[in-house]
Amino acid sequence: MSILSRRTILGTALAMIMGAAATASAFAGDMRIAFGDLPGIESIQTLAAIERAKERGVNVELIILNDEDLAAQAVVGGQADVGIGAPYTLIQKVGVPIRVFAQISTLRFFPVVNSEFYKTWKDLDGQDIAVQARGSGTEAVMLLMAKNHGITLGKISYVPGSEVRRNALLQGTIKASIVDAANRRAIESEAPGKFVVLPVENLKATDEAVFATADYLKNNAADVDILVEELLKTAREITANPAAAVELRHKYKLLADLGAEADSEITEYYKETAEAGALALNGGGADAAADDFAFFSLAGQIEGDPATLKVEQFWDVSALDRAIAKLGAK
Amino acid sequence: MASVRTEGEALGLATIGRGEARSWENNPTLLRLVSVILFAGIWQIAGMIPVSFAFPTFFETVTALVSMIADGSLPKAYLSTLQPLLLGVILSAFLGVGIGTLCGLWRPGEWLMIPIFIVLQAAPVAAFIPMVTFIYGIGMTAKTLAVMILALPVIVLNTYKAVRNVNVSLIAMCKSFLGTRWQIVSKIILPDASPVIFAGLRLGVAAGFVGVVLAELLITPTGIGDLITYHRSRANYAEMYATIASIIALSTLTLVALQWVESRVFRPEKRGA
Repeated sequence: MSILSRRTILGTALAMIMGAAATASAFAGDMRIAFGDLPGIESIQTLAAIERAKERGVNVELIILNDEDLAAQAVVGGQADVGIGAPYTLIQKVGVPIRVFAQISTLRFFPVVNSEFYKTWKDLDGQDIAVQARGSGTEAVMLLMAKNHGITLGKISYVPGSEVRRNALLQGTIKASIVDAANRRAIESEAPGKFVVLPVENLKATDEAVFATADYLKNNAADVDILVEELLKTAREITANPAAAVELRHKYKLLADLGAEADSEITEYYKETAEAGALALNGGGADAAADDFAFFSLAGQIEGDPATLKVEQFWDVSALDRAIAKLGAK
Repeated sequence: MASVRTEGEALGLATIGRGEARSWENNPTLLRLVSVILFAGIWQIAGMIPVSFAFPTFFETVTALVSMIADGSLPKAYLSTLQPLLLGVILSAFLGVGIGTLCGLWRPGEWLMIPIFIVLQAAPVAAFIPMVTFIYGIGMTAKTLAVMILALPVIVLNTYKAVRNVNVSLIAMCKSFLGTRWQIVSKIILPDASPVIFAGLRLGVAAGFVGVVLAELLITPTGIGDLITYHRSRANYAEMYATIASIIALSTLTLVALQWVESRVFRPEKRGA
């Protein structure tokens, strides 16, 4: 008897939990966006666009993951609707119909070398460098630049985390590496004159883009259109006036945990980004896809001759076309 | 009523089964083989359904494993993974048994050190790894240390408990034969404590495998950790699973080998058990 009642209680509890889970998922957002990284100051534009999409009635739920691969897997597995990243490998390797539908920003990495040892690309011939990971964008940038300058790099070691490489550069344990914009600025302010930032020419590859399954794009065109329009609008607004990034941050209370002191950093960051033209004013599209094919095939992330790869295998430009038709091209 | 009938049926089935089954029930090798085949079969079916787009079948994984051995990438990875692993495990074994014995024999040592190891054993050690990298950087030292952080506490604590719980009458016997302090330790305490010390060493080696993979995933991707992260980022899931399966297999084989060595070489009375 007592066993029976305990079983009933447990059964009821289980049923209640499952019921609660079912209702919870039924009330989940209309658009679940998976970030492949902790949002930092470089995410202000995307976060502001998401807030504006919310204002226009798209019920967005943010999911923060700590790896870009996880964001892509969440989209494929149906736990998220829209992912942020550049999942070219996954699109090609895993026969899952996911498509990129707008570019947010292009890659900006800075090769930093210790000026005691190196001054130019030529000095790096045969020298050891450190990059993020095997087959990463940072490695591809270094290889591309080495190729452009006719040099061969020495041993490439893998050190994940721009901030880890920054510290290693400052401590002198590595002499040449490549870091992101925020860490390049930190290096320059912590050790002025000790390092040289080598020039990176003609680099136009996707850093962040939004992607979703082909089905989602087809069935939720209205929501997707709003997101794409807002992404383009914020990119144009910030590029025209970099100070807008801080205004957007205050208006929508973005990244509140960074505190007021982040404002100056955000202004600096977007001033540079806008000057470099790294925010995608027209959302990428076929041109961006062609640049990406060249870059990511060099990085070893996609296979095949870049010239024969088809845009429609990786991109779905229909939402972007509609947004450009509405907002005009820049 | 119903329950009585099923019991009777079950009983009947069991008696019939017992006679027929004796031949293969007593054949452990066959049973083990069947267990492995069953596992591989379930894996193959799960991969064919498929459970997830990122879940390869058993045969794809085996093919990937063979090709990774053939192209040398797996042996090369193990060469680099085994360095911090062996170094960490050997250091932990000697240090751990030493510290554990000391703590078991000497009260001040016990009070000074055992609480630290209890805390270390209870702590979620992966959380220490960022701290290790801040202090020791990203090289071999940090990885060896990660192995030791995981392996050392369990070896120390097992040794300590084994030494503390040695049969008192054996020690009294040794004393009555006028055994010196050193003879008590070497001829009575250590042999009597050895089963538990060996159990601790086996657990320590298993923990060392956890430590080295954690270090290679969290500090810098080298060896096995590099293969796992690289193949994941390239969506080569069969290769990724093959790497993971290979490290699990290696750690299992190491533990089985340790047990064999223990019973054959160090503890002759357990032979055949």
